[in-house]
Amino acid sequence: MIRGPALDSGSLANRTLYRLAAAVVLLMFCALGARLWYLQVLRGDHYYRRSTDNFIKEIPLPSARGLILDRKRRALADNRPRYQVYLTPGLVTAPALDRLAHFLHLGEAEAETLRAKVAAKKDRDRLHPMTLFEEIGHNEMALLEAHKAELPGITVDVEAHRFYPFGKVAAHVVGYMNQINAEEFPRLRDQGYRLSESIGRAGIERQWESYLHGKEGFERLFVDAKGALSAEVDRDELESFSQVYGGPRRVDPVAGDNVLLTIDLDLQRLVERAIGRHRSAAAAVVEVNTGRILALASHPAFDPNILTGRLTRTEDERLQKDPFRPLTDKALRENYYPGSTFKIVPALAALDDGLVSPEEKMICHGTYRLPGHTFGCMKSHGAMNLHRAMVESCNIYFYHLGERTGLDRMASLAADLGFGAPTGVALPGEAPGFIPTQEYYRRAGGFRSGYTLNTAIGQGSTKVTVLQLALAYAALANGGDLYVPLLVERIETPQGGVVQSFAPRLRHRIGTHPENLARVRSALCGVVNELKGTVYDFRDIALPVEVCGKSGTAQVTRTRKGEASGWDVRNDHAWFASFAPAKNPEIAVVVLVEHGGLGGHIAAPTSMEIYRGYFQGRR
Amino acid sequence: MNPRSALDKLRHQFDWPLAGVTLALLAIGLVNLYSATRVAPRGLYTQQLVWLGLGLVGFIVVAAIDYRLYERIAPLLYGGCIALLGAVLLFGRHINGSRRWLGIGSFGGQPSDLVKIGAILMLAKLLSEDPQELRANGWMYNGAALATLVVPFGLIYLQPDLGTAALVYLIGLSLVLLAPFRWPHRLGALLVTPAGIALRLALRHKTSVRSYQMKRLMAFLDPTADPRGAAYHARQSVYAIGSGRWTGKGWLHGTQNQLQFLPAHWTDFPFAVWAEEWGLLGGLLLLGCYLFLILWAIGISATARDRFGQLLALGVASLFFWHVVINIGMVTGSLPVVGVTLPLISYGGSSLLTMMIALGLLMNVSIRRYSY
Repeated sequence: MIRGPALDSGSLANRTLYRLAAAVVLLMFCALGARLWYLQVLRGDHYYRRSTDNFIKEIPLPSARGLILDRKRRALADNRPRYQVYLTPGLVTAPALDRLAHFLHLGEAEAETLRAKVAAKKDRDRLHPMTLFEEIGHNEMALLEAHKAELPGITVDVEAHRFYPFGKVAAHVVGYMNQINAEEFPRLRDQGYRLSESIGRAGIERQWESYLHGKEGFERLFVDAKGALSAEVDRDELESFSQVYGGPRRVDPVAGDNVLLTIDLDLQRLVERAIGRHRSAAAAVVEVNTGRILALASHPAFDPNILTGRLTRTEDERLQKDPFRPLTDKALRENYYPGSTFKIVPALAALDDGLVSPEEKMICHGTYRLPGHTFGCMKSHGAMNLHRAMVESCNIYFYHLGERTGLDRMASLAADLGFGAPTGVALPGEAPGFIPTQEYYRRAGGFRSGYTLNTAIGQGSTKVTVLQLALAYAALANGGDLYVPLLVERIETPQGGVVQSFAPRLRHRIGTHPENLARVRSALCGVVNELKGTVYDFRDIALPVEVCGKSGTAQVTRTRKGEASGWDVRNDHAWFASFAPAKNPEIAVVVLVEHGGLGGHIAAPTSMEIYRGYFQGRR
Repeated sequence: MNPRSALDKLRHQFDWPLAGVTLALLAIGLVNLYSATRVAPRGLYTQQLVWLGLGLVGFIVVAAIDYRLYERIAPLLYGGCIALLGAVLLFGRHINGSRRWLGIGSFGGQPSDLVKIGAILMLAKLLSEDPQELRANGWMYNGAALATLVVPFGLIYLQPDLGTAALVYLIGLSLVLLAPFRWPHRLGALLVTPAGIALRLALRHKTSVRSYQMKRLMAFLDPTADPRGAAYHARQSVYAIGSGRWTGKGWLHGTQNQLQFLPAHWTDFPFAVWAEEWGLLGGLLLLGCYLFLILWAIGISATARDRFGQLLALGVASLFFWHVVINIGMVTGSLPVVGVTLPLISYGGSSLLTMMIALGLLMNVSIRRYSY
């Protein structure tokens, strides 16, 4: 160490102070060095990633959503370009705003809100584009594009939007979509969704979302602090950044798969036209030998184009309040009393167990007495065997069958026919129906034999869905094969490759003796084609084939109103469950008219209209 | 004395290590500034080169004249600096809500830089009195020294520029603490500061709190509170430094710098640019240069031939120490963001000139250590 004279006695600063000063300097620099070590070595990778996050902007490349096609490959759900207007507050000028308002025919008040919205953006937000209009017409788009130079800061972007070319047709089957909300987002983000994206909310759109959605791609762009695209970063560096990111710079989107339905668009429209004559109704048309659903309709329907991104508050309220419940799929998601269409159950149960012979006659006086309650019939039918009782729909006869078989035996046979459990159709929210047992009533407060009689004629607590009934009648028609309903035929890639193909699938073979099935079938043919049959007057003689089926008039309240005209929620539901042709049945058709009145009068003619359309041109 | 032997003498007495570390820092500064100003307004770099030329001339001139002259005219120099500060308040240019700048045309600087030299000279003169005298009238000298500091502090505070005002005060205070006072006097000088702050806070009324100062302070205490404001600067700076890792992203390849995520990266944040592009190794190299310079200055002080020279050298050491510690502490997110430059590295004419003059003074003291 250098020793100067000043450090000797009488010096201005003593050695201790110098050492102290040097120690403080050293200490502070060590602290700074340690801080650098912490930031650059211990936390270096973290900050490196932060710095790359700064300038690597991931631009999502949306995937094209798969189409929903009918069996003849007609698109029920398609994608269409939609033009959106974006505005960057920092770049826009006052004259440009005026011109925009002019081109889009905005009123003075609207233009004023617009100006206020633009003025409200501050600082950095002024450089972020904001969505101004979700959707403008093709003409407006052309106008804005043509006058681009006069509209600085305003851009028109095109985006694929879901489009349902046939509107309300098959709306409940196809479903609709809408935007992901903030609550679901954390869960969906892991599956590759963005917050602004739409997701299937009902029907096929929802059930097959994972196939339809496809996989979004992305491109990583390089931007500077102002958000401007940067060409300054050189290639080598990009490579090293990509490595830190552990991923490529661009991943192409994968288009969603197409869903090919078993639905036949022509038949579907025909069915919807037919049930559309009623205020509120549903229908199912099922291929008897495969379980394929050819048409599944619920009336009234909604327009999925409105529900998909264009639903206003008032429209939503209107849909919610509509007494005819357009948002509810009545073919699938509602349970109904089956009424007399359920009489096949006591008939088959009694025949199978040998509790009645086909020839045995029972006498109907119009009433059936039980201690404490008297059950009635439509009229006094007199003596009749099973065939006649089915044809004329005599309640008394089936009360007797119910008594003989018992509630639980009917329940087991109903379960065999697929009642009381979801059919397994490839749509969300299917109602299971309900078949009561003695156990059920005991738990609910006590079993009484009257409950058995109620179930024998499809009342009481007995409930089914339209689709369940169609499949049960299909099983009856085909000789005992209960199918899982088939709605999706195939999943295909956009290029047409088969992702997954669905063959008809047997749920099970029903245990009933084929001879008994044939007896009941023949009785059902009598319902339509024999004099005094409940549907005889409503059969269609022009049809090239014979229709067989059972009408049902399901009482919904104790105060039966019967044939009162006009919509009344106390009115009975009208059913007709049927199949055709009588020999070699092809299709089963079930029509339900809510509060429509007598099944034979109301639901049967609608079914006939459907058969006419289906068998048109056949002889 | 013939010219040849004079030159020989100079070669012997010339402080080569000091010159070496100065040139090394200047070189690092130029290399770094080239990268930092690539995206800056045109002409910044050339302007800095002009200032560097001026600075070198200033260095040589200041070093050449025996510092005992400065001792004699110290009050004059100090007074001149104070006058300049006064002029700033009257005629200074408004930039971002404060008057800091004095200039003719595009050429000018911040007198608050120069006043650091003035204050160091004045204090060195004041405190180089006979130690016996200093000890005897400790309180008086102490008061005089603090008054010497409070005047520039107040004038700069009025600009307003609390950071620089505090810096001037800190540099001077360090000098007072190292002067041969008795410990109670040192302690007294040390306690004046918190007492002053307490008084200031006690007298505070609503309008007197500069909102931007408050914001920066709050941003430092809670960086998440204001993601786009003052804390943004500090955070981006930390990202830049951290992302440099061991060896940096390479010269001209710092993305935080080149893509302008770093604010004011050529004036207050050049260390972040350096650390991003050269990594921990570069950062430690720069820190090492400063450490060497400061310790070397303390060494010069310890061996200076008279008390004025000792205090002058300590003043320069103190100037560099506080600038470096505050600036790097600020860019590494350890201190709140205040406008303190990094000596010889930051862009800025008056800052560079001031630092070169300070080094000239240091060289002056160093060369004349053994000549009587």
